[in-house]
Amino acid sequence: MIPTQWFLILSAILFAIGVCGVLTRKNGITIFMSIELMVNAVNLTFLAYARQFHQLHGLIFVFFVMAIAAAEAAVGLAIFISLFHHRETIDVDEANLMRW
Amino acid sequence: MIEYAVFFFFAAVAVIFAFVVILHRNTVVSALSLVASLFALAVMYVLLEAPFLAALQVIIYAGAIMVLFLFVIMLLNLQKMREEPTRPIQQFLGYAGSAAFGIALVYYISKYAVMQSPVGPFIADARTIGITLFEAYIFPFEMVSILLLAAIVGALVLSARGVQSS
Repeated sequence: MIPTQWFLILSAILFAIGVCGVLTRKNGITIFMSIELMVNAVNLTFLAYARQFHQLHGLIFVFFVMAIAAAEAAVGLAIFISLFHHRETIDVDEANLMRW
Repeated sequence: MIEYAVFFFFAAVAVIFAFVVILHRNTVVSALSLVASLFALAVMYVLLEAPFLAALQVIIYAGAIMVLFLFVIMLLNLQKMREEPTRPIQQFLGYAGSAAFGIALVYYISKYAVMQSPVGPFIADARTIGITLFEAYIFPFEMVSILLLAAIVGALVLSARGVQSS
């Protein structure tokens, strides 16, 4: 049986890669994919702890996180389509209407 | 022994393709790398004795969500679009900050996350998950269905162009 900590370390690395993508890219779709990467890292943590403590609740939470990620992807990509129609770009720096 | 080899191989695949996702300039390549990374994570779920969620990961994430991403990329014709590089100070702070964050996480996990496991086998097949989902979690389950309905309506309203309310 593989130690739980190894899964947690893999999850931490993937989460840090996702943070890096969100902070350094300007392409909206790429930022969105980085967010999906972070969501998956958290899912891996849930499953690792579920196996560690023999709890089914972690698995149920992964199920809900997947459903919410699907909803988030649908709405977010619709927002980017709308932004592209108005500004001809998906550069997030161009979407500065509500910026302080 | 074989499961350690599988773990290290697919962990390497997941991390390498995750780097390709955030570093490659072409959005289509990024999306396909994300599919590969999610497949590697599905193998991790199998190693964690959750084959049902591994199947869900492949079907929902690598199937449905990534097809949606690729569809939007193709629809907006983004693969030829040039992306302005971010400011150097933002690049530096992003890479340094996330590297420090990741190193700190790995350090604290390897130092402090030592725990005892209860005895007995852990059963997480589709049957037990289904019973838990439809008994203890029936209300959140229904809430998720309403959330998905709201997401459908929201996506339709946001992406409809030039449709005026009559």
